[in-house]
Amino acid sequence: MKKKLAFTLTLLAGLSATAMAANAEIRVGFVTSLSGPGASIGTLYDKGMKAAYAYQDEVGGEKIKLIKLDDGSDPAAATQDARKLIQQEKVDVLIGTATAPSTTAMMSVADELHVPFIAVSPVKIKPPKNGHLWGVAVPQTPALMVKVIVDRMAREGIKNTGYIGFSDSWGDLVYEGAKAQEDNGDPKVTSNERFARTDTTVTAQALKVMATNPQAVLDGASATQAALPLLELRKRGYQGPFFGTPAMLNDDFIRVGGDAAEGVQVSAGPVVVTEQLPDDHFSKKIGTKFHEIYHKVNGGDAKDGFSGYSFDGWLIFLAAAEKALDKAKPGTPEFHQALMDAIYDIKDLKGVHAIYNFSQDSAYGVDERSLVVVKLVDGKWVYQP
Amino acid sequence: MNSRMSRVVGALAILLLAAAPLYLAPFTLTLLNFIGVYALVALGLVLLTGIAGIISFGQAAFMGIGAYATAWLTTRMGLSPWLGLPFALVVTGLGAMVLGAATLQLRGHFLALSTIAWGLAIYFTFGNVEGLGNFNGIRDIPPLSIGGWQLLGSDQIYYVIWIFLLGAMLLSRNLLDSRTGRAMRVLKGGNLLTESLGINAFAVRLATFVIAALFTAVAGWLYAHMNRFISPTPFDATMGIEFLMMAMVGGSGYLLGAVVGAAFITLLKNSVQDYLPLIAPNAAGQLEIVVFSALFILFLQYAREGIVPYVAGWLPEGKPKRPAESEPLPPRDKPATGEPLLSVDKATRRFGGLVAVNEVSFDLRAGEILGLIGPNGAGKSTMFNLLTGAMPVSGGRITFAGRDVTRQPQRAIARAGVARTFQHVKLRPRMTLLDNVLLGAYTRTKSGFVTGALRLDREEERRARSEAMRQLERVGLGDRPYELAGNLPLGTQRVLEIARALAADPVLLVLDEPAAGLRSREKQALGELLHNLRKEGLTILIVEHDMEFVMNLVDRIVVMEFGSKLCEGEPAAIRADERVQEAYLGGSA
Amino acid sequence: MTAQIAAILTIDGVATGAIYVLIALGFVLIFSVTRIIFVPFGDIAAFTALTLAALETGQVPGTVGLTVALAILASAMEVVSLLRSGQRDRIPRRLLFYLVLPLVPAALVWASGSIILPMPLRIVLSLALILPIAPLLDRIVYRPIADASVLLLLTVSVALHFALVGLGLLFFGPEGVRTKSLTDYTMILGGIPISGQTLLIVIAAIVFAALLFVFFGFTLSGKALHATAVNRTGARLMGVRPEKSGTIAFLLGSLLAGVSGVLIAPVNTIFYDSGFLIGLKAFVGAIMGGMVSFPLTAIGALCVGILESFAAFYSSAFKEVIVFAILIPVLVARSYTAVHSEEETEE
Repeated sequence: MKKKLAFTLTLLAGLSATAMAANAEIRVGFVTSLSGPGASIGTLYDKGMKAAYAYQDEVGGEKIKLIKLDDGSDPAAATQDARKLIQQEKVDVLIGTATAPSTTAMMSVADELHVPFIAVSPVKIKPPKNGHLWGVAVPQTPALMVKVIVDRMAREGIKNTGYIGFSDSWGDLVYEGAKAQEDNGDPKVTSNERFARTDTTVTAQALKVMATNPQAVLDGASATQAALPLLELRKRGYQGPFFGTPAMLNDDFIRVGGDAAEGVQVSAGPVVVTEQLPDDHFSKKIGTKFHEIYHKVNGGDAKDGFSGYSFDGWLIFLAAAEKALDKAKPGTPEFHQALMDAIYDIKDLKGVHAIYNFSQDSAYGVDERSLVVVKLVDGKWVYQP
Repeated sequence: MNSRMSRVVGALAILLLAAAPLYLAPFTLTLLNFIGVYALVALGLVLLTGIAGIISFGQAAFMGIGAYATAWLTTRMGLSPWLGLPFALVVTGLGAMVLGAATLQLRGHFLALSTIAWGLAIYFTFGNVEGLGNFNGIRDIPPLSIGGWQLLGSDQIYYVIWIFLLGAMLLSRNLLDSRTGRAMRVLKGGNLLTESLGINAFAVRLATFVIAALFTAVAGWLYAHMNRFISPTPFDATMGIEFLMMAMVGGSGYLLGAVVGAAFITLLKNSVQDYLPLIAPNAAGQLEIVVFSALFILFLQYAREGIVPYVAGWLPEGKPKRPAESEPLPPRDKPATGEPLLSVDKATRRFGGLVAVNEVSFDLRAGEILGLIGPNGAGKSTMFNLLTGAMPVSGGRITFAGRDVTRQPQRAIARAGVARTFQHVKLRPRMTLLDNVLLGAYTRTKSGFVTGALRLDREEERRARSEAMRQLERVGLGDRPYELAGNLPLGTQRVLEIARALAADPVLLVLDEPAAGLRSREKQALGELLHNLRKEGLTILIVEHDMEFVMNLVDRIVVMEFGSKLCEGEPAAIRADERVQEAYLGGSA
Repeated sequence: MTAQIAAILTIDGVATGAIYVLIALGFVLIFSVTRIIFVPFGDIAAFTALTLAALETGQVPGTVGLTVALAILASAMEVVSLLRSGQRDRIPRRLLFYLVLPLVPAALVWASGSIILPMPLRIVLSLALILPIAPLLDRIVYRPIADASVLLLLTVSVALHFALVGLGLLFFGPEGVRTKSLTDYTMILGGIPISGQTLLIVIAAIVFAALLFVFFGFTLSGKALHATAVNRTGARLMGVRPEKSGTIAFLLGSLLAGVSGVLIAPVNTIFYDSGFLIGLKAFVGAIMGGMVSFPLTAIGALCVGILESFAAFYSSAFKEVIVFAILIPVLVARSYTAVHSEEETEE
């Protein structure tokens, strides 16, 4: 018992030191994965956010403070981060994070504590059931990403397709998206094969995909490892075309995939091919600006779609904050409410990925204009109008 | 510190905890909630690792089973979260029982490794079952609610979490202070010791494993309704290792260690996250895990015991009261003096091609003291192991009190009333003299895990304590019942072992080389004690190398050489026997 | 399933299994000499692959930074402990061993700058870079607790693995790599193509398994190494220094891990954290061999590879579940067949 007291006292002494502060500026909490399996895309989100902050770090005369936390690709850590940002750092808006489960976890915290949340990962957010949902998602939904590429397959006359993807949440989302399209007609999905990011081989899965004799193969993996099934299928004599999702827009995928990856078509946000877009495309102007700043801040070029999501999330926040500042002071519940309302009021906001239109009954602001199809030709992604 | 004062301090601590939402910042409460949930898991690990000596890297998987069970029941079946708790407990308990039954026979590092294996297998299962939302997890888990009032906020679920944690700690404390708790604590002393006390080591191990899993299931249930979203990641091997870390850092031998460890690790992680970016702004995320693991390794290198015992060492010792006199435990039925008690008929034991004991036969009558002697390597110890069931015979028959006990397990023989001591003293050095002796009374008492945890065993416990005190006094150690057994000199430890054996109210007391390693004065004292016991009419079998020590003590002697019986007779006759002289002198020459 | 598919799966399984064989042999080697279950073994293999890939693209591999950091730490610990025990005169020799030797390959790489070396040289250099890591870790992490129980050593190993994963991320970054093929040769056997890469892996596994078997079974130094594991004090009395045996075991083990890393790099994308699952699966193989016998370990690891290949065919999603779940019946079977000495985990 006496030990319990000693412990309690030290604990309390330590805890009460966490002080509270009033907000003299707008505070933005940003969570991304800088470690763990999500780190490879998490760092891209981070770079995009750095560019975004360099693009504009004040709004309506108020300074913006950006607070970044790492969630280690773990939803439990993401929950804790979200609570810390809201309860300790008193942020006015949350932006995050690199993996779908962590993003979903943050959404439920935002809902509970009534702080607007801008999701930058492709997640499923249920439309508000009883009252107000406290979040929106920037990216194209996985269903939309898959729909656009599957439509392209249909356009090319493909009747059935094999599926091979990651055994993780991304693999699930792509598969579900492809299955959902079956009801609208071709192509039918003939297989559902999975492999882990750390697997050394996909021979068995490739054999099973080929056993279903598909005309095409849809790849539901991401980044470098997405090349593995392509390599294996070609090695085993598969001749047909490959299709994929924006998750494959990655330099190492091209390098590792080599000849096997040549000709693969994926749906992608227009930001990936900004240079090749016609001048009247909505994303041309802002996209060019984004690439410029990105290069200045991070060195190197943005060849991925992820950094663009961070950037668009920032644009959405800026547009809404401008309006909300007229109604309330930062750091107050009224401001959070005004900010959320303003986000839902956003109409025709041009970002690097999409033209955003949010409304109270949909957390998604994108339509099919947000995706183009690109093809890998000679190691470069080429816009396919 | 007396008991009134500690009660005041305890009440104060509880009051402080209860009022926490009034004076703590909301995020601090959030941290306290995580600490509470993790402490429940760590508490299970304290019982499992610190007390029973089973290292598990897989507790996170059990937490996952609990969390997924309640998430499935509430989201897919639409039932109340309160029904989720019993469901989580049942599912996790059954899972633990099956896994435990399959793996708890394993020893040491094999067992620890198997926990990594099934931990990973369970983690991957979560991610691949469609009904459980695959790797995307389960969303929109309803919060706990009391009469339509939803416990959404950190400050509301806080009470639920800490009430469950304190309840679990109370149950564990009661349990450890009971008959079965002592059985759990003896497990670390090895199977030989545990079974010799009549305890079914495997059953106790399995029960401990299930109890730990149940605490973890509660943590999973709380976790699911606190975060209202679950996915496989928080239940992977990394988290399993972090839980082990919490228990070890806090002090895995102490219940409070679970809370201290969970708090320490959670707060440390939080401050590492706060302060590391100041030191290494570009690599903070990556360094977190490195700093963390490095600290853990340093801890394992230099302070394995954990924080709690370190802090406790600085606090004044409490002085518990001597157990009160109470009605004795019911005595065993003992055969009348002179009746045949033990009969060994052509007992044989082979190790591969080697015959260690070759068709040895002898009898022992109630009230008699028999010495089994022989030079080194004569097969005495093997014979001893055959008698007590520590080793099965390869051939022959052993009858005890009219019952055939050939090939009976050690614990069955112990329950029949055979109590033993060990050549290399086997005591629990971290337990008090009283607790060590209480272990001996295990076969004479009945209360189980539930009665122990709920304190329904107090009447029996009082009688057992009083009995243990009597035995300590009988061997002359009655003046310091609360000393730790490890602090005693070897000779006194031998005596304590005899007290433990006496607490079983044995029909037959078997002593394995009691004089080995003793200094002459200690030997003398031991001799006196045995003389007294002899006077009290106890039946004793002494296996001894030292011939002089037994000569004056025993009624009859059996001499063994090269695995066979050489001769048998009264001490004087044996002393005169040429073959014996040759065996001893020739053997040592 | 047709016979042809079965054959392809088997060959694929053997290739994967052979990688596990190399790592599993390392596990057993280190365990049988030091009683340490060196969990970070897979990480060492992964780091070799990452090193090789960096050299291939003309970058300075993260291994250089890692080795330098570890060498400095180990030397500091060594100097402090020598000063404390008053053996000042031995400092220069130890420094040569713990500081200079590990830094030679690092310096070479650093000096070569962005020159892309020919493939064989790259491989040798990668191995040279990776070799000091495990012995240095042995000095830093395990030496202070060399007499602790197997369980404590295991717990330390697991923590060390996490530290290494973090360091891997720090030094190598989050991107996966895949190196150029070592050979383009392909053999057709009964209508089934077998790549030269697969052949190389299998040959390497066989050669190393045989070498270890001979070394431990028939040479004096091998027996001396083994003696250390059985009884540290006894070995010391016989003039075998346990520290030295440990270092040799770690060096040999690292070589095995390094070779497997070099071989796996062209067939699979390796990330900074790929080592864990590869290591654990190799481990399942090692346990099947009871952690003592080299031939049994090799067979066990091969079985894991083949099992994994077939499991992936029948149910790719549950492949990992199957591979790890199989360990439980194997362990249970072993616990009934193996003779255990009474062990106490006493305070």
